[in-house]
Amino acid sequence: MKMKVFRYDKETQKPRYDVFEIEPTPGMTVLGALFYIRNNLDDTLSFRYSCRGAVCGICAVQINNVPRLACRTQINSLLEGTAEINLRNYPVEVKEKWDPREEVLVEPLPYFPIIKDLIVDKTRFFEFYNATKPVFKPADEPPKRERLMDPETVKELENYTNCILCAACVSSCPVNLKNPEYIGPAALAKLYRFHIDPREPRDDSRVLLMNNKTGWWGCEFHGNCRRVCPKGVPPIIAIGKARSRIDKIGKVPPEFSKK
Amino acid sequence: MVDYPVHSHDLVIIGGGLTGLRAAIESSKADFDVAVVSKVHPLRSHSVAAQGGINAALANAVGGEDDSWERHAFDTVKGSDYLADQDAVEIMCKEAPRAVIELEHMGTVFSRMKDGRIAQRPFGGAGFPRTCYAADRTGHNLLHTLFEQANSRDITIYPEYYVTSLVKDGGRCVGCTALNIADGTLHGFAAKAVLQATGGYGHLFARSTNALINTGDGAALAYRAGVLLEDMEFVQFHPTTLYGTNILITEGARGEGGYLYNNKHERFMKNYAPKAMELAPRDIVARAIQTEIDERRGFEGEYVHLDLTHLGADKINQRLPGIRLISMDFAGIDPIAEPISVQPGQHYSMGGIAVNTKGETELTGLYAAGECSCVSVHGANRLGGNSLLETVVFGKLVGGEIAQKLPSISKPSTEPLKEACRKESERIDKLLLREEGERVSNIREELRKMMFDHFGVFRDEKTMKEGLEKLHMLQKRFSNAYIDNKDLVFNYTLIYTLELEGMLLIAEALALGAIERRESRGSHFRTDYPKRDDEKFLVHTMAYYRDGKTELEYAPVTLGIFPVKERVY
Repeated sequence: MKMKVFRYDKETQKPRYDVFEIEPTPGMTVLGALFYIRNNLDDTLSFRYSCRGAVCGICAVQINNVPRLACRTQINSLLEGTAEINLRNYPVEVKEKWDPREEVLVEPLPYFPIIKDLIVDKTRFFEFYNATKPVFKPADEPPKRERLMDPETVKELENYTNCILCAACVSSCPVNLKNPEYIGPAALAKLYRFHIDPREPRDDSRVLLMNNKTGWWGCEFHGNCRRVCPKGVPPIIAIGKARSRIDKIGKVPPEFSKK
Repeated sequence: MVDYPVHSHDLVIIGGGLTGLRAAIESSKADFDVAVVSKVHPLRSHSVAAQGGINAALANAVGGEDDSWERHAFDTVKGSDYLADQDAVEIMCKEAPRAVIELEHMGTVFSRMKDGRIAQRPFGGAGFPRTCYAADRTGHNLLHTLFEQANSRDITIYPEYYVTSLVKDGGRCVGCTALNIADGTLHGFAAKAVLQATGGYGHLFARSTNALINTGDGAALAYRAGVLLEDMEFVQFHPTTLYGTNILITEGARGEGGYLYNNKHERFMKNYAPKAMELAPRDIVARAIQTEIDERRGFEGEYVHLDLTHLGADKINQRLPGIRLISMDFAGIDPIAEPISVQPGQHYSMGGIAVNTKGETELTGLYAAGECSCVSVHGANRLGGNSLLETVVFGKLVGGEIAQKLPSISKPSTEPLKEACRKESERIDKLLLREEGERVSNIREELRKMMFDHFGVFRDEKTMKEGLEKLHMLQKRFSNAYIDNKDLVFNYTLIYTLELEGMLLIAEALALGAIERRESRGSHFRTDYPKRDDEKFLVHTMAYYRDGKTELEYAPVTLGIFPVKERVY
């Protein structure tokens, strides 16, 4: 099979695609193939890596025009067509043709500035994260022991604490790709995680923090965030529930009000 | 001449995992200027991969109501095969409940019992549930919590900076040099104190569960700076890593009731640890599995089965959702329907930079904590659930110790940092300017395979000495290592090469320590010396790097309330 890999460096400033012929071993992942290339064919190829077990979130890239983790995506399942993710209303146009039965196309995540080959600058992603003030703010002074929590509440919270901040969702979101101010699914899921934490004040300050078009009201419910999430996090549901809550307390900004 | 940028801070912490972040939080409380320098963004640190949990005698769970720090300490010391220093173990186990409660107070979403208290599960080496957890993503949850806390404080983070050397001035550590991976520039970091929180040396071995970044950089930095490495030969092989990729399958899978089967569908642990069965400590279960495989009772000569099917879909989905996902993603196995193929793999580095219980190394101004250090709370074998605990307990403790000392330390001069940058720049240029030679990836892969084959689960003198010879050959070949990539921007091939240089150095300390320890203790099992020898080897191995050579000395183990006994499970 062939790996078609996006290349770019600051010096030449000329993006190109390099094709590498490789023999995939059983279970070989896209990350494994990138390492094979770097170790054996071309050591100038740059890409990020750390855990290689789909928990650290560092290696998200664009694979066959879908943002996903390189370490979790198997070459064979791509060639066999069993690993397909169908994005809805995805505006990123395919810049390079490839034959999905014989080739795998690997590119940097869209949306972010490209630095080198598959490496992008994620500064903006963490700006969005920081905009939600993501730190636990308990309602009261800490007790001597742990605060009690209902296991059912924990289950609901886990839907969102499972996020590994890989930025695949932001890169797949049609709204992010057209509205640079929209903070996107990952940050909103994080914000919602704090909103539903029963140990925080029950004053809706968390949901009201993003009661605008850069926040909850920017979402158009395309649902790509949930489709690409390697951890099954559903930001789209968090956004829907946050909007309902805002509606219930009568704080919907007039421009988003249905009435 | 290039003018190298020098960043001055009160404290520079190398490493942004749990230990580094916890220390940063603690030391920044008193308004000190604290910086974290890390080769990856802190959230990509290996701490994130810890699954099963964190031990603390909270006495919440049924069956553990009368748990105490003493019982936790006893299990830890026995688990360590009596090589752990009992003063350090006492500190860790006493502090454990407070540490876990504190993490909860910082916002960690732990799994809960029906009555709302933190849930606990059984882990190896304890007879009842003591391990607090957040499903099977405990490290992920803790790391995100501590990052949130650190991120909301006035702590400077330098992500994607690779530290290349520690800098000394007048016999004290005054900072470090680091390569900014994003643009290839060298920077000096001047500090009144430096804390290493750089993680383990797992990738010295093939078949490692560790993140690809765990290359023992911290140990190599300290070793080169003349600091001792302690008990490097003690390497934990985790019994259950996924066949194929060696991704970790948590001990929690057995804690929740999973069984190990050989190809005769026999729960073979009954032949090795009839009482503890699957929940014997890791060294014992790893050897049992390897023995089954070696004696042809495994599958395809490579693995055994870890069966969770009898736990049912509900329990697997609630308690082990990450394991299910990993098995499906990386092996195409759904553990609800079929057993998982597992084999032993390198998992943890018990040895590391020698420190006292305050985190001090022999070099004034240099501290170490967490997996990169050897304090020693794990001795010859670490109990599952004690590594996360060590990170937060000693991260906080050492951060606090340093904060107390900072006011009395004067600001170091930046000149030695600039000088060190010049030297490092020359070293790196030499590597980059070499126009031909051998690909570094060959050397690195051969080293990892050699270490696993010659210094693995079972060891003996002949095999290890052959290994040492191979290591010397690899070291020689490294002097001819060559990389094509001359770019300064995100040159990970260069980082890979610098890592390899350190790996080849500390591998020697490990190899010599293992060859000279003519006994079997915990993870270090010698087929030619199958018995523990307390008369000669109830001691810590101390490796020094002098004049380009590794020399060994031995230091006494700190004993305490638990007398040294035979270890039976």
